[in-house]
Amino acid sequence: MGIPNIFSRKNRILLGELVKTDFKLRYQGSVLGYLWAILRPLLMFAILYLVFAKLLRMGSDIPHYPVYLLTGTVLWNFFTECTGQGIQSIVMRGDLLRKISFPKYIIVVAATSTALINLAINLCVIIIFAFINGVTPTWSWLFVPFLILELYILSLGISLLLGALNVKYRDITSIWDVLIQALFYAVPIIYPLSMVVESGSFGPTAAQIIMLNPIAQVIQDARYSLITHEAITGWSLSSEWFLKIIPIAIVIAVFIFGAFYFKKKSRRFAEEV
Amino acid sequence: MVKKHSENIVTKNTSTNIRSASSSKIAIKVTNLHKSFRLPTERAAGLKQAIFNWLKGVKGYTEQKVLRGVNFEIKKGEFVGIVGRNGSGKSTLLKLLAEIYYPEQGKIEIDGTLVPFIELGVGFNPELTGRENVYLNGALLGFSNHQMDAMYDEIVKFAELEQFMDAKLKNYSSGMQVRLAFSIAIRAKGDILILDEVLAVGDAAFQEKCNNYFASLHGEQTVILVTHSMENVRRFCDRAILIEKGEVKVEGSPDKVAKAYEGLWS
Repeated sequence: MGIPNIFSRKNRILLGELVKTDFKLRYQGSVLGYLWAILRPLLMFAILYLVFAKLLRMGSDIPHYPVYLLTGTVLWNFFTECTGQGIQSIVMRGDLLRKISFPKYIIVVAATSTALINLAINLCVIIIFAFINGVTPTWSWLFVPFLILELYILSLGISLLLGALNVKYRDITSIWDVLIQALFYAVPIIYPLSMVVESGSFGPTAAQIIMLNPIAQVIQDARYSLITHEAITGWSLSSEWFLKIIPIAIVIAVFIFGAFYFKKKSRRFAEEV
Repeated sequence: MVKKHSENIVTKNTSTNIRSASSSKIAIKVTNLHKSFRLPTERAAGLKQAIFNWLKGVKGYTEQKVLRGVNFEIKKGEFVGIVGRNGSGKSTLLKLLAEIYYPEQGKIEIDGTLVPFIELGVGFNPELTGRENVYLNGALLGFSNHQMDAMYDEIVKFAELEQFMDAKLKNYSSGMQVRLAFSIAIRAKGDILILDEVLAVGDAAFQEKCNNYFASLHGEQTVILVTHSMENVRRFCDRAILIEKGEVKVEGSPDKVAKAYEGLWS
């Protein structure tokens, strides 16, 4: 499983077949079918919007707050779906691993790709909402794909690392479930970052710490590029250059470590899974 | 998995004088192959147990030797039977040949593409149609859609399921499912075909058809067949290998090996 054959034709075909099957099967037997890919995040958004924007009156100072909130939830959903599927993928496909030989990472990539397809659909929804809400398109929209790529690489790195660990220690799935709940509150999705900044003398520092998290960085940058330049980003919080590159450094480090660990452990997946 | 590899898997050879397998007559050459498994000692497979084991300084597993220095060669076009009792290491050997397991010592040299059937219908999904399953199974075996297109009609014809290909697999009878899986197995064009105990599926008529097909493979295709049926060994194989306790015990004519196998219990 050397680097050169990662994208060989054969592997691409297998990846394509697995993604196709996964996507086809996911909504099979449901009345609304693929529509659920859009409905799920929209419904979650509706709940958050009612509770936080209407009842708690948060984000009244942010322009286009509904789209702002939707962008956050869609990206967050992508991250949870991607890692959730990715971490379980190796164990779930144990039947294949025990009987056939193929590069193992394809399973993880296939599982996470389904989330990527869902994200693409949801992005269309965001764009429609943005137009309805009167957001004017700008060149900075072009920056969004790079942010998604960053988030995907992070999710893939986590999936490879924890997916490999999950083969031996099934506790990983449960630990991740709890961790992701905690992480949700560490990312400014339901609360605006400005609220943290204004929360007292420690506020600005707290906001900086929150922004070291690559997920928070991606979400805020996406809001900034897509919706409003009033969105607070890591860039606007501090002038320290190293604080700005930490999130990206984390993504790269997690991915490289995850890929190496996965490669090392994948030789024995067939025996251990 | 269709894979070209003559260069190898692990090269921790103990013997220094290995004849090059480059002579084009050899399809598979196995040299001093060793494999052992780690069996967890405590029943729990979890983080808690792992931490306890680590604190107590216990390994948490015992090594179990499954193959202890297996050597053999298979020529191109040969139909070879591998026999042995349960737990002798046959399936492990097959999985090593198919690159599902990783050898810790020894060398496997394979010349040509290898199509392994450790189990029929790997990846078959009941919610997909017969057609979709054929393509998915093909992709898993390493065939492109284009290659599958070329084999598709023949597979369907052999399975005699022409009018059912657009029905979901869950609506197939179990006989129909194995017929489809089996047809993919024997129609998949690879240089070396590996079959693990998958003969004799379907009704009498279908079995007869399969038997005739196997008989027709003689000299055409390299086949490795793992089986417990000495009748099949005598009927199809050019040569057979008896594995016992992880070593090649007897190797030679089907009749000689079949007798040795039957002798294991007497």
